Amino acid sequence: MSDNVDTKAYIESGVIESYVLGLANDQEIAELRQLTALYPEIQAAIHAFETALEKQLQNAGSPAHENTRKMLFDRLDGTFAEEAPVRSFSRAGFVKYIAAAAVLLLVVSAALNVYFYNRFRSANHAFLALLTEKYTIAGASGAMQTQMLGMYENMQLMSDPAVAKISMASAPGTEGNLATVFWDTRTKDVYLLPNKLPAAPAGKQYQLWAIVNGKPVDAGMIDSCTGLCRMKNITAAQAFAVTLEKKGGNPSPEGQMYVLGKVG
Amino acid sequence: MELSKKYDEDELVLRLRNRSRSVFSYLYEHYAGALRAVILNIVTDEELANDVLQEVFVKIWRQIDSYDQSRGRLFTWMLNIARNASIDMVRSRSFQNSRKNQELTDQAGGINEMRTDQIGLRKLVSGLREEYRMLVELAYFQGYTQDEIAKALSIPIGTVKTRLRAALIQLRDIVR
Repeated sequence: MSDNVDTKAYIESGVIESYVLGLANDQEIAELRQLTALYPEIQAAIHAFETALEKQLQNAGSPAHENTRKMLFDRLDGTFAEEAPVRSFSRAGFVKYIAAAAVLLLVVSAALNVYFYNRFRSANHAFLALLTEKYTIAGASGAMQTQMLGMYENMQLMSDPAVAKISMASAPGTEGNLATVFWDTRTKDVYLLPNKLPAAPAGKQYQLWAIVNGKPVDAGMIDSCTGLCRMKNITAAQAFAVTLEKKGGNPSPEGQMYVLGKVG
Repeated sequence: MELSKKYDEDELVLRLRNRSRSVFSYLYEHYAGALRAVILNIVTDEELANDVLQEVFVKIWRQIDSYDQSRGRLFTWMLNIARNASIDMVRSRSFQNSRKNQELTDQAGGINEMRTDQIGLRKLVSGLREEYRMLVELAYFQGYTQDEIAKALSIPIGTVKTRLRAALIQLRDIVR
């Protein structure tokens, strides 16, 4: 046998049957094992003969005496491994068992999927709600902080000895109004605290005036500011007044005066 | 004894190597009959066949670690153990002596052989052509080498080899 092995002729030569029945010599056995490794069809032919022979000999068997069996097992007693109570371990039974277990697991898994998905959804909703609440609270907290900081700054400003405080009481013809101007004498910054002023009607807005040498100078419009409202800088003034003007203000006062206060 | 169980060969061998009593028991239940028939084909005596059968299973039990699955099926391995043990028994001095005694006392000595023709491998071989049957008888059942057969029959060894192989091909066609 060399490179070009005619496997069909080899299979038909009888050497395979000779090998299986234990009739082959050493050289034939060595050759067959080499070829078997190279040619699956030779391996298949060996297997086919072995299987057929086994089947035929099983059918052509003779009953073995129970006594022989007993003598055999008595003789080998002590060489057997301890065995756990015999479990059914046949391949087919085992596969059935595995298949049943797999189906059961699948069903349980599917049920758990539904259950956990619902749990997940409700948890997710709760989480989103909490997240929204958190942002709301954080926002409110931020706003409060800003407001507190502003108020603290305002307090600093109000208590600063270099800041003049001008209380403006109700102007003649009005009652119960009050506003306060804080005027930084160093920077000339003007702040207004509208203590008590009626809400401005629609289309109207309060305007602050500095009275300089008897003439009103525009000191800015009063917006709906919290705490102190930053107004225009005023370098010199003898008094301050607030009038109600049209929205956006006027170059010189036209509406009614609500409060008036003198500097000093 | 779980007779209904089916093991595939890998599992069978693995569990035999793990010294499983129940699997060895299964092996006996499943193969003792087939092996005993082939043993009877060779030793022809029921009592002796049972002794050989016991020896064969002891060998299987003790040598299972040396069984190489890549070289053939478990049954093939067991069958060869049974054949070799049977031929060894037939060639032993005690067997030869008992056979002589038997021949002296048992005038109808052919009965056993007649009956063992109908079981085991002889049942399959009986379908072969006469000239082939003779070669298989000498080579398989009596364990002669081809060289010994050539000398005994005064034919060239090449012829013995060719005819024996032809016989085995015919046997294969009977078997499958």
